[in-house]
Order: sequence, then structure tokens, then C-alpha cells
Amino acid sequence: MRAPAHRQVDSVFVALADPTRRRVVETLARGGTVTASGLAAQLPMTRQAVAKHLSALRGAELVSVMRIGRETHYKLRPQPLDEAAHWIQMVSAEWDDRLEALRRSLEKRGSRPR
Amino acid sequence: MKLRDAKTADQKAPWVERETMVEASPEEVWEALTDEDRLEEWMAPEVELDPTEGGEIAVRDGDDERAGTVETVEEQERFAFTWSRPGEGESFVEFTIEPLPGGTRVTVVETPIGPTAMALGGWTSRLARLHRSLSFTLVA
Repeated sequence: MRAPAHRQVDSVFVALADPTRRRVVETLARGGTVTASGLAAQLPMTRQAVAKHLSALRGAELVSVMRIGRETHYKLRPQPLDEAAHWIQMVSAEWDDRLEALRRSLEKRGSRPR
Repeated sequence: MKLRDAKTADQKAPWVERETMVEASPEEVWEALTDEDRLEEWMAPEVELDPTEGGEIAVRDGDDERAGTVETVEEQERFAFTWSRPGEGESFVEFTIEPLPGGTRVTVVETPIGPTAMALGGWTSRLARLHRSLSFTLVA
């Protein structure tokens, strides 16, 4: 199995690089769907600022959007976060294997008569 | 792309950092990391490497192929390159060699250097914070 493409993972990390945006994500992570106004009420920022962050999070596919009547509702999509964590786990495991092979290769040589 | 900047950033906040202790001298480790025949003993079945700064590296394991450019060659201390699979983003990979009593420590870091991340600038501290944030989000 292959690690997910960097591009996807990269956009997740970029979206989450902003501390305010992480607060938005953490608030969304409490569950359910919420409107931009609903989020703004829970966070020390304007509805406009919240909308801007939600738009960036949509770009990284970290939130999904639903129209309910006249309102737009947002929901956290945790999959991209899982992919970023998965990338780290996969690449870590690959290097553990390679470094173990490096160690064996060096120590096998070292035990040969010189 | 200013890879030099990325390099500094990577040393501070790698996405992946692993290390091992080997019973071998830094000189032996250096050879195992920078000689293409030696690399084929542990890294992948097929490795092509021009171990000079700006040289090319190609690593093939069956149909899994990666290619990139050598970035840093500091004899017996540091060896770094970028690599990527066709159509995927690049990673920066850096080995650090450190002599210890009775052996050598080999540390490797790998960090994606996507154009988006590069364009942000000053992303080192962001990545560092992000690591914590990500673990928090995943555990929560």
C-alpha cells in the first residue's frame, strides 16, 4: 500500500497552519453541523472572518457544506486529517524498515574478516 | 524554489524523523549512504546516484519509482536529496551521521516540500504547531 499523495496532505497542513483555523476545526469537531453565524457565536471573531476560514477549509476538503432552507451548514470531514496522519505513519514505517536494512548491511560487512 | 530555506526549516520541524544506531564508523556509514552499489544492498533493488550537489538520484523498487536531486553532500556528516514519485509532490530527505562511542547514529528526516507550503514562507513554526494540533485533533 502506498502513502496518500503529498498534494492532498500538503493542502491539509497548509489549511491547518493558521491557529484561528485550527480553532474553527476544533469547534467543528465537537460534532454536528453548524452555520457560519453559529460558529461565530462560539468564537471570538466575526461571521465574515469565520466564512473566510470555512472557505479555506473547504479548499482542503476539511469541511463539507449543506444547504438547509436558506442557511448554509458546515460539517467537519475528518478524512483528510486521517490521510495526513497516515502519510506520517507510512513514511515512518518505510524509514524504520530501510534503517534496519542499513544497520544489517553495515554490521554484516563489519563482521567479515578484513 | 528556495530549497536552502526549506532545508533549514526541515531540520527544525520534520514531518518524519527516525534514527538508528549502527556498529560501524561514520566513514562506513557514509559509504553505505552515498555509494549506489551499497545503497542497493539496503535502500532499494535499483539505485542510481551521482553523489554530488546537484547530482541525480533514482530509486526503483519494482514499479515504485522515485527520482530527485542531491542537495547536500557534507562528507561523513550530512547527505540530503529531494525525491518524488511521478506526478506526486516532492519530499526533502536528509541523513545526519553522528559518531558515538562504539558506533554511529544515523538520523533521517523526510518532509514534503509542496509548492503551497513553500509559498507560505516561515512555515517551520507552523508545521511544529501543526504537529501538536494534528495529534490533538486525532486523539480527541
